[in-house]
Amino acid sequence: MLRLAARRARAQWPLLAALLAVAVVGPTLLGTCALLLTRTADQALETAASRATSGQIDVTAYTITVRGEDARSVADDTRAVLTSALAPFATTTAARASSVMRSFPADRQQAGRAGVAYLSGVEDLPARTQLAAGRLPRAGSAPMEAVVLESTARRLGLAVGTRVRLGTELADDPDQAAEVRVVGVVRPLPGTGWDRDPLAAAGYDPAYRDGRSVQPVHAYGPFIVDLPDLLAGGSTLARLEITAHPDLSSPARRDLDTVTETVLGADRRLGRLLGDRVWIERVASQLPSMLLAARNQQQVTAAAVLAVAAIGLVLTATALALAGRLSAGVRGDETALLSALGAGRGQLAVAALAEVGALAALAAAVAVPASSALHAGLTRLPPMAAAGLSADPGVNGVQVLSVVGAALALAAVLIVPSVRTVPGLRRRRELLARSGTDLLLVAFAAVGWWQLRDQPAGSGTPLDAVRVLAPALLLIAGSAVALRLVWPALRGVERLARRARGLVVPLAAFEAARRPQAIAAGLLIGLGCAAATYGVGFGATWQRSQQDQADLSVGTDLALTLAAPPAAGQGAAVGAATGGVVSPATDRGIAVGQWLGGAGDPPRLVAVDTTRAEALLRGRLHEGRGWADVGAVLAPSTRAAGVSVPAGAALSLVGKATGTTPLTVTPRLLFEDATGLRTSCTGEPVPLDGRAHPLPDCATAEGLRLVAVSLPFAITPGNVGTGSSHALAEPQAGNSRVAVTITTPGTASGPPWTATSAEPAPGQLGAPAVTLTGTSAGTELRMTTTVELKGPPDAARNLIATAFPAPGPIPVAVSARFAGEVDARPGSRLDLTVGLTPVQVRVAEVLPAVPSAPGAAAVLADIDALSRALAVRGDFDVPVDEWWVGRPTRADASVRGTDLRLGAVTTRASETARLTGGPLRAGLPAALLLLVPAAVLLMIAGVVLHVTFDLRARAVEVARLRGLGMTRREIRTVLLGQHVGILLPLLATGAVIGALATRVVAPLIVRSDTGAAAVPAVVPVWPWAAEAALLAVLLAGCALAVSAVVVVQARRADAAYLRVAS
Amino acid sequence: MSRGPLVSVRGVHRSFGSGANAVHALRDVTFDLTAGTMTALVGRSGSGKTTLLNVIGGLDRPDSGAVLVDGTDVTALDEDGLSLLRREKVSYVFQTFGLIPVLSAAENVGAPLRLARVRPGERERRVALLLELVGLADHAEQLPGELSGGQQQRVAIARALAASPRLLIADEPTGQLDAETGLSVMALLRGVVESEGVTVLVSTHDPTMLALADRVIRINDGHLTTEPSGGRAGS
Repeated sequence: MLRLAARRARAQWPLLAALLAVAVVGPTLLGTCALLLTRTADQALETAASRATSGQIDVTAYTITVRGEDARSVADDTRAVLTSALAPFATTTAARASSVMRSFPADRQQAGRAGVAYLSGVEDLPARTQLAAGRLPRAGSAPMEAVVLESTARRLGLAVGTRVRLGTELADDPDQAAEVRVVGVVRPLPGTGWDRDPLAAAGYDPAYRDGRSVQPVHAYGPFIVDLPDLLAGGSTLARLEITAHPDLSSPARRDLDTVTETVLGADRRLGRLLGDRVWIERVASQLPSMLLAARNQQQVTAAAVLAVAAIGLVLTATALALAGRLSAGVRGDETALLSALGAGRGQLAVAALAEVGALAALAAAVAVPASSALHAGLTRLPPMAAAGLSADPGVNGVQVLSVVGAALALAAVLIVPSVRTVPGLRRRRELLARSGTDLLLVAFAAVGWWQLRDQPAGSGTPLDAVRVLAPALLLIAGSAVALRLVWPALRGVERLARRARGLVVPLAAFEAARRPQAIAAGLLIGLGCAAATYGVGFGATWQRSQQDQADLSVGTDLALTLAAPPAAGQGAAVGAATGGVVSPATDRGIAVGQWLGGAGDPPRLVAVDTTRAEALLRGRLHEGRGWADVGAVLAPSTRAAGVSVPAGAALSLVGKATGTTPLTVTPRLLFEDATGLRTSCTGEPVPLDGRAHPLPDCATAEGLRLVAVSLPFAITPGNVGTGSSHALAEPQAGNSRVAVTITTPGTASGPPWTATSAEPAPGQLGAPAVTLTGTSAGTELRMTTTVELKGPPDAARNLIATAFPAPGPIPVAVSARFAGEVDARPGSRLDLTVGLTPVQVRVAEVLPAVPSAPGAAAVLADIDALSRALAVRGDFDVPVDEWWVGRPTRADASVRGTDLRLGAVTTRASETARLTGGPLRAGLPAALLLLVPAAVLLMIAGVVLHVTFDLRARAVEVARLRGLGMTRREIRTVLLGQHVGILLPLLATGAVIGALATRVVAPLIVRSDTGAAAVPAVVPVWPWAAEAALLAVLLAGCALAVSAVVVVQARRADAAYLRVAS
Repeated sequence: MSRGPLVSVRGVHRSFGSGANAVHALRDVTFDLTAGTMTALVGRSGSGKTTLLNVIGGLDRPDSGAVLVDGTDVTALDEDGLSLLRREKVSYVFQTFGLIPVLSAAENVGAPLRLARVRPGERERRVALLLELVGLADHAEQLPGELSGGQQQRVAIARALAASPRLLIADEPTGQLDAETGLSVMALLRGVVESEGVTVLVSTHDPTMLALADRVIRINDGHLTTEPSGGRAGS
């Protein structure tokens, strides 16, 4: 038998070559997917790590309160722990330390007031500062050399060469006083870590609180000295932080795995090592979570890639089964003859096994290099090449195993038809089995869909078997069921065709409807079309979802996350750099009444200028609702006009108080710039002595408007800002009528101002009032009230004058999750705590999600309304965390935004690119690039095989049509009509199955990069143009294949066949 | 009624292959068929019977010589002309019946009428008549696979008669049938000649069938070995 098989193989090599070609496709696809999931996955993780920002990979150790004698050893040990945690990567470290506050007595040689000051040491100072005067400090000088910030120098009147004496430490075990010599003046460079300076590089804080004094104190600093000098100088360190930066330019996956573990354990090791030399220590880094998230993301991608591979394998198996059946049909006579000659089933099986085994070996031998080449080619296409995943052809064990396994499994599909001795006798049993298989497939598909639908919204298991197999199951079950529906349709056409007068069309219809073999390739055609259209639809759905997720997660077109509080006028620079609509934005955690949200997941407050919501906000809303509609509900009806204040304008304050009790006021002014950013400016404590006192240089930018004033009155004289509270000898009683007038060169406009007495003790002030008067010098803002002197000296007596009325509960839109968590609905009133200030809000609308807070319990508010609500409560610290830019017109807006060095820039486009084309995600579009052509090729190959075998089997019948008097053209028409009549409904049903799968399955398969349900919810996309083009290609391909075979067959339909038959 | 020749075959040569391997299927074949007669073409397998039938019916072309059917030079016709000839004047009955498996007996019989674009009513009437003629009126809706060999051949004859051809060519119509059934088929053909006036050229190697033919033409190795004679005319 084996010899017979060998001879038969030689004789029937074209048939075997066709089988081999089909058999190679599946293993090649699987081999390529295996490479995507192993080699490319490793490469993707390494590439993602190498592209990570410093913020994502740096490891920082924070140590709090280090005794002076331990400072150096603590620093050394900390560096050692960090370096070892990041081994084997080369690591560079940078340290920054600040001493505890020292007393800073008023000195006649230096300006300013008495308060506190501190020393700092910063490594890599030249990269973090710009030298304005002098030079940087040198090590080992006596006294220690120091540089100060410009603002400190200006405030204290310091110049190069000035010696400054800092008092003793405000600590339990104070160090001695220290003297430094100023050798330079520097400007802090933004984005270089100054946000972690105790005064955030402001250089001065008139109301510094560190918990040691009842009253706020004036704080100055830093006095930046050489770091080793600071560590060796005996100063107690309030904080020491050391940041280690690993070199991940060419990481190996194994090393990344090691580092993930060691960094996670670094905190514990550091704690053990430092012991009681420090009060608090902590190691913080995003590196482990970033790497874990990357692996999670890889698994999500792997699930999708495997789902594609499963579809490819099912397609190949179907094609191979068809090819096997057709070839068995061709060999039917031969098999029957062999059986008649006495060949048993075992012998036939041995021969079939030998043939199939050889076929599998050949398929595997071809598929291994083919998958390597295909993988290498794929990595050079845009999705992967752009992600930095280009690779040369290579082979690995998983790939070879996958290919061999697939080749063997697929070859097994060929055995069954090969060993059938008398195919016709089994027809009834086969039909029953097929019906049972169809039912089983439908049942499995239904279970798969049900499992998918009920999968948890959380991350769950990213690599889930249901997610891998469900699409393939649904496609094949759908195709099998649809195939059952094609018959009745063809029967209907046949009934119509009977009434026709001619022969050509009816004969085509009869052939199509009555020949069981006519739709032998039906499952493959339907499944191929369904897989291809599903591939295109799934790709579009996935792309759209990633874009939606990017839109929602960024919330706007370009977001600039600030590293430090914004300054007035900064928005203009952002606007100039980006060319878009600019708004300050709040994005931070809040408390809602007593509710603080889940662990690490507090309710979020997002506030922007909602009058420009349409331009600023991104994310999907409910049908028929636009962001302009939402914004209109949230924004105040009128803008706060205020008093315009020219840049550099000198403002002054005059205050008077009746009675004998001396009162002071520390004025705080709230300005608004052209972009709606509100910044406050705090003056020195001013006695209400009837004299004019200049206010600090508050108007630092053009276009500012004064929109609110806070006047906290204090009874105790002389001690404001020193940190030492001198209680009055006698308790005060009665009240004092005060009048404070602020004069500004600007002009006022808009509605009258409103005066209120701020919480929490509004009764301490009576009859607050404010008037605006235009004068030749500008505008006088006169505020009057009666100060109740009774009560604690520190009690709040805060007069607030605003250019707007008290807003009441501000309207907010809440996310659906927020509404669900707190049972809020439109009209509900809630108390939010923003910072420390309670703000009452009214729910105006429930949104699917709040921009920049996907899936979070979040609140969207207008930043103007929020600021007003805070201001009337005396909180002038408007929480601004980001700049949001809508519709940036500059192509390089992101680069220019980054160049401002205000903070990290994120754009919708970059986020979309990260989600769709990042190294960890590019595997999916690449796999889809494989699936669609593979489905098209297999389908067309199946059509060619089927038509060829069909026409070959019917050659005599075709020739007899000529005998009936049909012309070749009529015969061609009959054959084409028959095949097109079958192909069209099969393609149509395939497309319908693809569309249904896209609608039903794709939204359940697409997940976020963490494996959780995507937010916003995935909307199925059916790209009509692409699908129409695909169907046109499929139709054209099939039509071309059928036409070619039919033309050849019609040409051969001559007397030769009749002679053979007769 | 005087009967002239419906078919004239003159000096027909047909060979397959070339050079030393050439097979000469027909060599200078010349004869006439009188209209309204039944002629039997007799010869062994490979003697050239089928080639001669195919050449007369326009399914094959001779290398040389001429074939006139009802005054039309078949050898001068192009493909479409030959198809028209088979559609209107010449019908075939094949040894393997040549029925279209997916069509019922009635549909097979109606196929030539559909080709001629006969109106459905007329078509159905004629199909019923023909099935009645061949004794298969009760089997009209059965598929060929559901009929016996003899029934299939009767359907084939009915189909061949459907378009009222002038010439009916039957290539070994009884070859797949048992003797009794074969004889009944031949009798049917004989009856058709009598009733329809159709000219029938039937190839056979069964001597028992020859008695029903008006004439017998013998062919051997591509040659007509004897002048047309025998059959009912000769008996």
